[in-house]
Amino acid sequence: MAHVLEARDLVRRYGPIRAVDGISFGLVEGDLLTVLGPNGAGKSTLLGLLGGSLRPYSGEIWFRGELRDPGVTDWRAEIGVLSHRTFLYGALSARENLSFYGSLYDLPDIAERVDARLAEVGLSEAAGRYVREFSRGMRQRLALARTLLHDPSLIFLDEPFTGLDVHASALLREVLVRLKDGCRTVILVTHNLSEGLALADRVAIQVQGRFAFLGARHEIPDGAEERFYREWVEDL
Amino acid sequence: MSLRSIRQSVLILGFLGVSLTLLFHWMVFFWVSTEATLGISQRIFYIHVAGMWTGMLAFIVVAVCSAMYLWLRDDRLDQIGRAAAEGGLVFFAVGLTAGPLWARLAWGTWWTWEPRLTLSLLAWFIYIGYLLVRGATENPEKGKTFAAVIGVIAAVNIPLIHVSVLWFRSLHPEPVVVRQDGPALPPDMLITMLTALLAWTILLFALVLLRYGAARLEARAEELALDQGTTT
Amino acid sequence: MSRYLRQVWALAAKDLRVEFRTRERFVAMAAFVVLTSLLFNYAVDWTLLNPRDIASALIWMIIVLGGLLGLGRTFELEKEDGAMEGLLVAPLPRDALFLGKVIANCVLLGLVEVLAVLVVSLFFQVDFTQNWLAIGAVLLVGTIGFVSLGTLFSGITAGTRMGETLLPVLLFPLLVPLVAFGASSTASLLAGFPPAVVYGSLRILAAFSILALVSGVGLFRFIVEE
Repeated sequence: MAHVLEARDLVRRYGPIRAVDGISFGLVEGDLLTVLGPNGAGKSTLLGLLGGSLRPYSGEIWFRGELRDPGVTDWRAEIGVLSHRTFLYGALSARENLSFYGSLYDLPDIAERVDARLAEVGLSEAAGRYVREFSRGMRQRLALARTLLHDPSLIFLDEPFTGLDVHASALLREVLVRLKDGCRTVILVTHNLSEGLALADRVAIQVQGRFAFLGARHEIPDGAEERFYREWVEDL
Repeated sequence: MSLRSIRQSVLILGFLGVSLTLLFHWMVFFWVSTEATLGISQRIFYIHVAGMWTGMLAFIVVAVCSAMYLWLRDDRLDQIGRAAAEGGLVFFAVGLTAGPLWARLAWGTWWTWEPRLTLSLLAWFIYIGYLLVRGATENPEKGKTFAAVIGVIAAVNIPLIHVSVLWFRSLHPEPVVVRQDGPALPPDMLITMLTALLAWTILLFALVLLRYGAARLEARAEELALDQGTTT
Repeated sequence: MSRYLRQVWALAAKDLRVEFRTRERFVAMAAFVVLTSLLFNYAVDWTLLNPRDIASALIWMIIVLGGLLGLGRTFELEKEDGAMEGLLVAPLPRDALFLGKVIANCVLLGLVEVLAVLVVSLFFQVDFTQNWLAIGAVLLVGTIGFVSLGTLFSGITAGTRMGETLLPVLLFPLLVPLVAFGASSTASLLAGFPPAVVYGSLRILAAFSILALVSGVGLFRFIVEE
């Protein structure tokens, strides 16, 4: 099967430091790739590169068989990014935030979509309230709604479970399960082993800017995930 | 350019530049004839103009390197640009010091809004901004991009600023306006002026190359240090 | 094409809506205008100087300094909660972001300028009504250039540790044409000369603003791209 997303030798540096040091992989449509790794491994940087908010120092990103051109904006309409920062404006209401992003993505019938997404994450009653009054969990839910507003086919999630309470975590898990409908490709970055492995089709372990391990989920022995992970991380 | 050829060029150009500088200083103080109206104080004029000219030349280098850096993203262009900015800063400082000294002696005031002087002061501050911005970012790559943008936009605006400064001066003329670069400079003055310009242009290139070589060494050292750090 | 315009409009509207609700920038700039004029009153011996002689200079310096306050915080909204990344990830051309910000800033600055004119005319009994249209035109044309450069540089300073303190260093050298031609034409108009007198200055101001706007549109993408 052809790869929907392919990274070839991605390098991203900050001065002489290489946060991403030559990462290559391919994703088939419908896959969920979980990227694990310790803090400082460059996982967020990798997502930034794939999501298009960071420019690689070298390397290529291919999307649906074509080399991605940072100057063109069309492919961005198919990408949704959920970061640990929410991308929200505190002085606007939940609905206004989503409507704004809706206009950026030039979506038709914005109002209906916004209402539908708000309902999906359980924020319908709070729709008119200002985001700065929201709790952390509510903001994260709204951010999730924002990520999926334009129905992206490629979804990148960076530590989405951080700071979520039990209820919100369950909601997020539900959404993730729904995303695995075969047409959407997801990359999930997390240092939460159990959540990360629960839905993964493929797993990567990133250490110091490189994929120390990249393989299918079933290659990781059940019940021995912790040990497996630690072996790879400490090996280097 | 390899580091060895840089070192060689610096030595040759440096030697040439310093020699010519000594030569033209001798010419300024001992050889060239005294200007009729202004007397001995006019001799500073050569140093002042040479400083300004070299500073402007450096500015052009910064502008060109900035534009090309944004296009090609080659670090070496950024290094040359930075070297040129530092060099320009030095020569403008000379010009900006000599200028007021001359103004004081010739017209009794320390500062005149003479267009060349004013433009150099503005360019000096643009250099300062250019150099400050580099060091003020978290990510060094961003700093280089910011500096390059400043280089380009400053260059684009300089003609307009020049027009403004000239126009403003024409509305508020100075009490004594002397045409320093008059219709015909007598030959000995012309030679002195050209020698001064040549001397400092060469010196500028020497300094820029020196600074560029140093920057290349710095970059190489950083990379080596990092490689050392990761291979354990 | 219209998608582009819709995006620019959405950006400008978002900024203005937030500004309207929080009024952070406007209040700071408005207070600055009033208080500076007030201090200025005590800085001058009015038996020696006629207010009309320096009204133009005062207005322009107040606008530049006050405008600086507001412009420096152009990207403040996007810093909170990392919204800038959200904008970069969206199918939004970088120059559309720039234009949206410029439009919002122009509106904000326009309001402040109206206030400045009112305050100066009130405090110093300067009559702006004669030639008010021409004065307005000069202010408008100049503001576009001022805001363009200010927004561009604000994008730079937002990415540095020094932040807003760096903005005047970068911006002021390039504002010489604005102040020179803006203030002098305003002074002529205040003195009662017919508007035709300032056509030359207006042309240069227009060149300044067009140059600033075009450079900003072309260079902004380099600043904001990571």
